[in-house]
Amino acid sequence: MDDIQLDALRETCNIGLGHASTALAAMTGKKIDMAVPRASFLPLEEAVSLGGEPEKEVSCINMSITGDIPGLVIFMFDAPSTFMLVDMVSGLPEGTTGELDEMSKSVIRETGNILSGSFISAIGNLTGLKMYTEVPELAFDMLCATLCSALTQHNYTDDQLLLIETIIGEIDRQIKGYFFFMTSPENLEKLFKALLF
Amino acid sequence: MRRILIVDDAAFMRMMIKNIVVKNSYEVVGEAENGAVAYELYKELKPDVVTMDITMPEVNGIEGIKKIREFDPKAKIIVCSAMGQEAIVMEAIQAGAKDFIVKPFQQERILQALERVQARA
Repeated sequence: MDDIQLDALRETCNIGLGHASTALAAMTGKKIDMAVPRASFLPLEEAVSLGGEPEKEVSCINMSITGDIPGLVIFMFDAPSTFMLVDMVSGLPEGTTGELDEMSKSVIRETGNILSGSFISAIGNLTGLKMYTEVPELAFDMLCATLCSALTQHNYTDDQLLLIETIIGEIDRQIKGYFFFMTSPENLEKLFKALLF
Repeated sequence: MRRILIVDDAAFMRMMIKNIVVKNSYEVVGEAENGAVAYELYKELKPDVVTMDITMPEVNGIEGIKKIREFDPKAKIIVCSAMGQEAIVMEAIQAGAKDFIVKPFQQERILQALERVQARA
């Protein structure tokens, strides 16, 4: 991938994640800022290690993408950010949620659904490509286990990952999220063609 | 009281919609987690209006809309979905949905959509 292609992809993700953070702001009623400090292609092992210690507890929401660019999106939040998100989206006082019950799992799953929907819809509208998200799946477990399980389940074990490290910030607290996007080299090529022409 | 059927695979979203509509003189007569259950409940309960998600397991919202509209061509269905792509909106409208709301939505948006769809003959 050359610099122009990577730049186009980075900007596309910026736009998509911009829409996603707007959606998150609407859900929480808070002013949400978003910074994308890092966007890069990495081998699986390196992407996992950048997310933190392999044993770190995270929530991992993954969704298949169907349509013109089949692939996989994963939103990942560390445990404190997960609990903070539940509180913010549910309108609960900060610090209320300390573990995930069925309803709070539904909150996180649906939050990931909405964030990914915003991201994918923005990309689809930008490029004219048809991209649809499937039903989200949630895992709350160790980083390595959740990420590797999602990738293995969807047969993404050989390719490199596109990692977008995203800091989603509310005024007085920060939610750190990682966004992964996986697709085949052929589909990436299709995406670039749609972006650049 | 107006009777509403809420369809979404996310319990949290069903609860959110329910909280909004109950405060505004709606009776939630049923909740469904996919298009197939929605169709069965629609036949049984005959609600005045339906809110329908798109991305759901087993049977998605587009298929759910088609099945309900086959049974009742006058069914009043509004879509509430995380997917806001033009193609999806068109597909839902062509299937028979009367309005399309992208999540996350403001309370007023869904209430206005429900009022508008019921005001039509």
